[in-house]
Amino acid sequence: MFRKSLLKFLPAAFAATLLLSAPAAEAAPKKDFKVCWSIYVGWMPWGEIQNSGLMKKWADKYGINVDIVQINDYIESINQYTAGEFDGCSMTNMDALSIPSGGGVDTTALIIGDYSNGNDGIVLKGAKALADIKGQTVNLVELSVSHYLLVRGLDGIGLSEKDITVVNTSDADMVAAYSTPDVTAVVTWNPLLSEIAGMPESYKVFDSSQTPGEIIDIMMVNTEVLKDNPDFGKALVGAWYEMMAIMSKSDSAGMDMRTAMAKASGTNLAGYDSQLASTAMFYTPAEAVAFTKDPKLITTMEFVRQFLFEKGILGEGAPSVDFVGIEFPGGKTLGDTANIKLRFDPAYMEMAAAGKL
Amino acid sequence: MLTIRNLEKDYGGVPVLERISLDIKEGCFCGIVGPSGCGKSTFLRILLGQEAPSRGELLLDGVPLPNEPSTERGIVFQRYSVFPHLTARENLLLAHDFEGSPFLGRAFGTRRREAERMADQLLDRTGLDPARDRYPAQLSGGMQQRLAIAQALMKRPRMLLLDEPFGALDPGVRLEMHDLLLELWREHGMTVFMVTHDISEAFKLSTRVLTFDKVRTDPQFPDAYGATVTYDLSVDGTAFPDNIEKDDPNAEAG
Amino acid sequence: MRLINQKVSRPAGFLLAAIPFAIVIIAYVSASGARLAVNPSDKLLPSFASMAEAFWRMATQPDRRSGSLLLWADTAASLARLALGIGISALLALLLGVPIGLIPKIRGLLNAFIATFSLIPPITVLPILFIAVGLGEASKIALIIIGTAPVMTRAIALAVSELPVELLVKAQTLGASTWQIILRVVLPQIWPKLVVAIRLGLVPAWIFLISAEAIASTEGLGYRIFLVRRYLAMDVILPYVAWITLIAFLLDRALMLSSRRFFRWAHLGGGGL
Repeated sequence: MFRKSLLKFLPAAFAATLLLSAPAAEAAPKKDFKVCWSIYVGWMPWGEIQNSGLMKKWADKYGINVDIVQINDYIESINQYTAGEFDGCSMTNMDALSIPSGGGVDTTALIIGDYSNGNDGIVLKGAKALADIKGQTVNLVELSVSHYLLVRGLDGIGLSEKDITVVNTSDADMVAAYSTPDVTAVVTWNPLLSEIAGMPESYKVFDSSQTPGEIIDIMMVNTEVLKDNPDFGKALVGAWYEMMAIMSKSDSAGMDMRTAMAKASGTNLAGYDSQLASTAMFYTPAEAVAFTKDPKLITTMEFVRQFLFEKGILGEGAPSVDFVGIEFPGGKTLGDTANIKLRFDPAYMEMAAAGKL
Repeated sequence: MLTIRNLEKDYGGVPVLERISLDIKEGCFCGIVGPSGCGKSTFLRILLGQEAPSRGELLLDGVPLPNEPSTERGIVFQRYSVFPHLTARENLLLAHDFEGSPFLGRAFGTRRREAERMADQLLDRTGLDPARDRYPAQLSGGMQQRLAIAQALMKRPRMLLLDEPFGALDPGVRLEMHDLLLELWREHGMTVFMVTHDISEAFKLSTRVLTFDKVRTDPQFPDAYGATVTYDLSVDGTAFPDNIEKDDPNAEAG
Repeated sequence: MRLINQKVSRPAGFLLAAIPFAIVIIAYVSASGARLAVNPSDKLLPSFASMAEAFWRMATQPDRRSGSLLLWADTAASLARLALGIGISALLALLLGVPIGLIPKIRGLLNAFIATFSLIPPITVLPILFIAVGLGEASKIALIIIGTAPVMTRAIALAVSELPVELLVKAQTLGASTWQIILRVVLPQIWPKLVVAIRLGLVPAWIFLISAEAIASTEGLGYRIFLVRRYLAMDVILPYVAWITLIAFLLDRALMLSSRRFFRWAHLGGGGL
């Protein structure tokens, strides 16, 4: 049920795969659009945008239909998007680079929603400093943002992955795994993180607030679809920021909205608010635009692509870290400019900031 | 001498056999005939110890026979009498293997050599020598039954029980088997009980023929009464309708 | 002539069997070609060439991270788990199934319990398994055992109880004790049935192995599939699935042939799958 969940049986995936002979998203003007999302604190608004009728209101304004679909499995939702079943999907910057962009699907970051500011962390049993992790076996979802956070954490204290042993552990079993005596170190995300850190003799020795702005949660859309259908982008962005304005307030309308999101994610208002506290939400388009234009984003993506390349996730066939090109505001790029597959383009968020939607 | 006293058998209150009392002399060849479902196979299973009688007793030389199969009583069934995973010779050696070692179930040394000598003799005697190293599935139906009889004789049982042993064989083979069985019976001198539905076979081989049937019937309750011995005949045709305290004068006739 | 009477010659049989495979391969090639024409980097339905290349790389080139040949390391790890799991299951099936099938009192004691136990989906008791045996190899092997031992035990118990009662009676008339009957009559006749039970048990065993490796591990065929699924590397996943299928098929054949070789008597009736 969480955004990085990957435990799902393969046969269904293969069956679906064989049937998916339709080529990826058509590049032609169209009226009906589908985006998908999975449960995570920063993406709960998508469910309420659909339920409250905000999406219909904005889609009607531009004379189109947009369907927002919740997918139970995070990785599966990205795979579906990559396969061309959806025009957009909520995911992290890291997974966007490795899955759709690495898979040749030109993808644009339409809405920078938030970044993890403590939602991901490292917990040790019976030790209080990150340096104590040396020599330990660390349980985490391998190749996920947890893995990235671990590498960044180790970097900061002069250690590397060679100093530890990584054990791939399903997020669904993380809490149960941590309850056993032989598991002494885990890297995970909320709400698992707060649950595990709350156990006796357990210490959160590092979290994403110490490398802020690197794990970014984004609504990614297919670049070609967006180019041919600007109204699709405008409707999504318009609906999103109207929802941001509602939910960020502490009046009764805002509380009602957050309560509904809390319920949908299996917690209560207090629990959801505490998750929001470790999430740096961009409630206004202006903040998101500023974040996108900040050169620090380029540094972050450099870390991310180096990580992915070292782990072989950019595709084993990727000859170098530059294989997939990334474009930033102001024409700056990383990697192969002839193969730009991931674009950070603040244009639509700027329209929202300027009130032009 | 085998003594059967007031033997009765019922299944869940439904009588199958009732009022059976017989004295069978050592060395008698006893044919058992009767219509289907008259309890003749049940009677054989009780003699074998595979089933316990509901009432009455079964004495061998005045000593009650145990209510489970034992080495005094050899058996040949119509099918499944020999072990499919053992060759013909191994099938014959099995009895002595059991005797040889309670834990390993194998005979060694002199005991083994004695068993082998006896097995080879029987293989030769029953014409199975060329097939000694074949598995039962590689033997014809007649050879399998010859093997089954030979195997039953390895422990030199005092009683040999045969449950329609030749029912599945061709007529020609059946005649050969008759000769073999009679020869072995004369050589070994054991008491034989043979259930068959072939009356001529019973009269040809037996010194004494027991026929089973229901004598009492209640049209309202067909299951009210069980079967019993209706005729007890010596091969010369002398009837013993009331045999209870009498010996069979023809018991030694073979 | 009626359809049920129309026989198939041997070459025609091979041809018939090849048709569904050919259809799937052709469907795949055309679907893959269509997707690759639109997006040459498509990961969903990679070409056979790129799958072969990925498989070759996994088999012959040391991994950038660990320096080992991943395919062989994964295969060795998975087969070791499978062998241990199915081996212990087979042992349990014999130790429990033979007495249950043969001895009425033990059947009365255990039959209902094992029938009930076999209905528990093993994945649901995973957290208990973690606490009981830890998160390491033991929990993966235990998952295979829990998933396969009950069905194998029931198969053995059933096979024992289906032995002709005539044989058990005959053994008793030859002087056998209960133990000797087990040793000389039941066990030798059960070996081929055990091979059949293992062949049947291998199917769920693979499923549980793959799921166990998805939960917590550092190597194994299932681990690799779930790991690379994170970046939709179907060029690795599909050859791995084919590889697993091939291994499973070869294991099955090897078991069947060894049964024919070692328990010749059981296969004299011809046939057998």
